[in-house]
Amino acid sequence: MGEEVRKHPIIICRCRDVTLDDVLKAIDEGCEDLECIKRRLGLGMGPCQGRTCIPLVIGIMARRLGKKPDELLIPKPRAPVTPIPVSLLLKSVDVKVEGEGGDENA
Amino acid sequence: MREEVEVLIIGAGISGLAIAYSLQKRGVKDILILDESYIGAGSTGRCATGIRASFTSKEHVVLMKHSIDLWKKYAAGELGRAGLYYDQSGYVWVATRDESAEFFEKLAKLHNSLGVNTKIIGIDELKELVPPMKVDGVAGAMFDPTAGKSYPFDTIFAFLKLVKGRGAEVVTRVKVTKILTSSGKVTGVEVKGGKIIKAPTVVVAAGSGSRELLGSVGAKLPIENIPRHALITEPYKEAFKPLVIDWDTPGVPYIVQSKEGGFFMGRDVEEKPELPLTSQRIDFMPKAVKPLTKFFPWLRNIRVLRYWVGYYVTTPDHHPVYGPVKEVEGLYIAAGYSGHGYMMGPITGELLAEWILNGKPHIPEAERLTLNRFEKGALIKELAVVG
Repeated sequence: MGEEVRKHPIIICRCRDVTLDDVLKAIDEGCEDLECIKRRLGLGMGPCQGRTCIPLVIGIMARRLGKKPDELLIPKPRAPVTPIPVSLLLKSVDVKVEGEGGDENA
Repeated sequence: MREEVEVLIIGAGISGLAIAYSLQKRGVKDILILDESYIGAGSTGRCATGIRASFTSKEHVVLMKHSIDLWKKYAAGELGRAGLYYDQSGYVWVATRDESAEFFEKLAKLHNSLGVNTKIIGIDELKELVPPMKVDGVAGAMFDPTAGKSYPFDTIFAFLKLVKGRGAEVVTRVKVTKILTSSGKVTGVEVKGGKIIKAPTVVVAAGSGSRELLGSVGAKLPIENIPRHALITEPYKEAFKPLVIDWDTPGVPYIVQSKEGGFFMGRDVEEKPELPLTSQRIDFMPKAVKPLTKFFPWLRNIRVLRYWVGYYVTTPDHHPVYGPVKEVEGLYIAAGYSGHGYMMGPITGELLAEWILNGKPHIPEAERLTLNRFEKGALIKELAVVG
């Protein structure tokens, strides 16, 4: 890497501002799979759920720990896969039929 | 991995790690903690971060008061330096029915008599504590200033760092299949693949997996693993500090803002015990947010990021099971918190360490929580199970 690049933190997870240094430190402190590093650093827990950072971290961890990518326990995506506004959820049939909870506008 | 160890703990969640920490403080060095998954993979990492002593049984109030004292002590010491914190921002309980407001008054009296300074608050104080709340229809409110919140992974990684630093071995991805005994005494465990680890003391702190483990020695642990759901929104600037409970809506919805700014929300929806954690309940999301938009209309404009499932490892009386398993000498249990295992973690560690080393805990209320209470029919009554 050139001098100019090294002056700045290298961002791995753009949703949660996790840097390469953070990732390397977590691995050195004992995180041996993605399930662990996800929860240690919050990467993959932002709006994109790891679309950018998880592939990057797979490569970093695999090289650092000498493991195969499929040994790294890739986290499962959670619903909703993309962020959903609450106003949209309120239009769901589940709450219209339910009729409880006192939302005067539903 | 060690093949012989003084104390073997099954489960690397808050309970197992806190028990190891408390044993180490009392001089036990040779400890092995096994977990079938990753650190905190069970109910610890899936909880909604709340901590409180404002319960409705003497046992819960007393134990949680001790636990909160420990949360504060731990946050101020070496565990705090390793990342554990306790944000004592309180719980606010909101009633929309007059009968519930009256119930709060009784509850506050009970708490006060046990040294927890819960208090009834008026609308003005409610607005001060939760400024962006619409208070129309509120019949009464109660505030527990000793309650608070703390992010589970900050907590357990702090415990992990310290217990490993003092020589405990923590191994993940190893499933214990059987507890081994000989002439009524525990001798160790067998793990998947057939390997045997010898230990004269075994502690089951395995959350939803605890029933099966005790079953391997013929002891009956009456727990049901009931799926509970929580969601979190995108992060926003701090809007309010306390956890807010909507007491009068069925399923008792709650909302609390995380350290990063996301709003955690949860509500009890009808569920079948033992459904796998991967089962999806998309209807949970609208059902949880809808009642809360009554108090926080601005929620409509924010986005839900993720939702997940965790188990309330629930006993018939909604209280934990602590202490020795009388059928088997050297076998101990700490499980069945019915939704409160994270907040009880620090006191769980102390109680089990005392039971193992001294034969009894220093808090008399804990002695009523042993496994044999179910046989004796000496159940404990808990009226308010939330968050």
